[in-house]
Amino acid sequence: MKKILALTLAALMLLSMTACGAAKKDDVLEPAGEEATEAPAEEEATEAPAEEEAAEETPAAEEEDAEEEPAEDSDLAYVQDKGTLVVGITEFEPMDYKDEDGNWIGFDADMAAAFAESLGVEAEFVEIDWDNKELELKNQSIDVVWNGMTLTDEVTTAMECSNAYCNNAQTVILPADQADKYKTAEDMADLVFAVEVGSAGKEQVEALGYEYTEVQTQADALLQVKAGSADAAVIDLLMAAAMVGEGTSYADLTNTVNLNSEEYGVGFRKGSDLAAALNDFFAESYADGTMEQIAETYGVQASLIEQK
Amino acid sequence: MAILEVKDIRKSFGQTEVLKGISFSLERGQVVSVIGSSGSGKTTLLRCLNFLERPDGGSIAVNGETLFDAADPAARREAEIRRKRLHFGLVFQSFNLFPQYTALENVTLAGRLLAKEDPDYRARKKELFARIEDEARQLLGQMGLSDRMDSYPHQLSGGQQQRVAIARALALRPDILCFDEPTSALDPELTQEVLRVIRQLAQRQTTMIIVTHEMAFARDVSSHVIFMDGGVVVESGEPAAVFGAPAQERTRQFLDSYSQN
Amino acid sequence: MQQMLQQFPVVVSALNVGFLQTLKLFFVTGLGAIPLGLVIAFGSMSRFRPLSLLTRLVVWVIRGTPLMIQLLIIYYFPGIVLGHNVWGSGEAGRFLASAIAFIFNYACYFSEIYRGGIQSVPVGQQEAGLVLGMTRWQIFYKVTLLQVVKRIVPPMSNEIITLVKDTALARIIALQEIIWAGQSFLKGSHGIAGALWPLFFTAVYYLIFNGLVTVGLGRLEKRLDYFR
Repeated sequence: MKKILALTLAALMLLSMTACGAAKKDDVLEPAGEEATEAPAEEEATEAPAEEEAAEETPAAEEEDAEEEPAEDSDLAYVQDKGTLVVGITEFEPMDYKDEDGNWIGFDADMAAAFAESLGVEAEFVEIDWDNKELELKNQSIDVVWNGMTLTDEVTTAMECSNAYCNNAQTVILPADQADKYKTAEDMADLVFAVEVGSAGKEQVEALGYEYTEVQTQADALLQVKAGSADAAVIDLLMAAAMVGEGTSYADLTNTVNLNSEEYGVGFRKGSDLAAALNDFFAESYADGTMEQIAETYGVQASLIEQK
Repeated sequence: MAILEVKDIRKSFGQTEVLKGISFSLERGQVVSVIGSSGSGKTTLLRCLNFLERPDGGSIAVNGETLFDAADPAARREAEIRRKRLHFGLVFQSFNLFPQYTALENVTLAGRLLAKEDPDYRARKKELFARIEDEARQLLGQMGLSDRMDSYPHQLSGGQQQRVAIARALALRPDILCFDEPTSALDPELTQEVLRVIRQLAQRQTTMIIVTHEMAFARDVSSHVIFMDGGVVVESGEPAAVFGAPAQERTRQFLDSYSQN
Repeated sequence: MQQMLQQFPVVVSALNVGFLQTLKLFFVTGLGAIPLGLVIAFGSMSRFRPLSLLTRLVVWVIRGTPLMIQLLIIYYFPGIVLGHNVWGSGEAGRFLASAIAFIFNYACYFSEIYRGGIQSVPVGQQEAGLVLGMTRWQIFYKVTLLQVVKRIVPPMSNEIITLVKDTALARIIALQEIIWAGQSFLKGSHGIAGALWPLFFTAVYYLIFNGLVTVGLGRLEKRLDYFR
């Protein structure tokens, strides 16, 4: 499944490389950057004001370039033009989930709605297949992935990401009656792990060099442990809090060691100017306390990261 | 005037010339038997007469009207061919009844469809259909199938199926009824019931061309016999002459091979 | 068990919503692919060589590649190449893309069944019709068609039952059919998380629906039993 997807992606990317003019923007910006670094070098011996001049020139040149760019190259303008910010999500309590009336709520959902409002557009939530999030962005069937997404290398390479806004960890799930035997990651060397394909948890187990099998979702990983086909699973700490232990189908599982600490971020199309806009919005709403207020509603305030 | 005039019919399949110029004529009420070994071109000749194959050369005329002339492209148009076909009826070796229709429906189907081309079809539909059905019942009665009208083909014996097929061909009142080895697919016992029906038709002066391997029957029922070999007519004439004293060596050999079997 | 009973009404109502989408996709595909398949079958049997070759090439490509890939390409390819998503981002767009992929895919499978069915009717049937002065259309409609239908009902039944289950593939482009609905309770939905039974329970829907389809097609087969 993953291979098929990778092959399709490869084929699609080949075609999109030949078909789209994304490279244009870089070409235009590059000379401006060169001027900025070359100018002081030429006049090395002269006084400081020359440097200032060059520094002032650069933004001006960039602005000119920006004006020459067609408006459609700005993702912000594109979103404002169509009047909706399409937010790609999966159901993931407490970040994105449905209330009793079927409206999307959660820390991420509320923040996304507030961000959309600040842009003067409406937020539209669309459930996506998590495997295809990059495709959905490229396809413009969504504008942003905002769903408790761990900022892994894969994610930051494939998307234009916002600053981190929430702490998370990859945690090891064991049957509750086994938990005493495994106090540290080192104790777990002989266990077989179940991890979600392409997940941060997989990266952690891989880094430790332990044996693992890949499954479709984090929930599947839990199922493997419950069914005994894997000894342990590695999933998001925030998810473990909601799915493991008393009152869930996995009452006899428990979370033990955290393998790392990691951070959640929001992903936009590569090169999108919406990422910068969101960073500004995060900073504002952190400063005026609304972000913390929303976090408290969903009990994630302890994980919140300061926004500047 | 001859009811059928066939002149110099030629037909090739790829490199193989199957008919190398066949000519014969037929009077109203005559029964012609075409005999010859397999591959002699008998079946192809019948298929040409029924426009299932298009001859490469020659002409076919019925009642003095030229139905086909290889030299005249206008005579080859599909829509015209369809009407011209109706001068001929064809009874196949393998019956080719329509399996989803009863015996009666097999006989009436084509007539009902043709009735739609009648200018007063809408006004007279009931009357036309009633007449078609009456005639069909009568024909099936003549074939000795009064009690099997509502049977489906698979419920009938081979001999019964072939008799339905004969009724189906007769229902359109063709000028000439052709039989393509009508009994080859039948047991000897069933063969006799079909031959009996054909004999009755001959007694009623039905003009027929019969391709057959039943030599005794051909001799008995025909007014004229054509012996074909290698795509040509080797010998033709009265049955008594062809069977009794064949003039050609090849005819003799063929008939000998039959009497030995 | 107690917990499951509590969850039952919530789960069933969510599964019903998903199953409605499954049914919609099933019927739309059937209604589209059954006639389109006939058009493709005629194309592949055409005496005009370029048309028949092209049709057979398309059929070969569609039958030779996974439906899942076709779904991905149909939904994502235009957006990536044209730079805007032609289907619309919502569920309606995903349904439209799924329906087109399914109709086309199944029409290609059906066309091969039709072709086999049409070619298996003895040529003598056609000749008998011609000799009786019928037009080609009359022969097809009055003589050949029902015999073809009788021959294709069993293989078509297999394909149709496969179609019922194949609709689940549309979840790859996030069409929220019944498997998607069932899976959502694993990840957490409607306040239920980590529940596996809703996903297993979707099998009951498929089973019942396929049972009905099988009975229906079996009746059709029986109705055509009167001739051979």
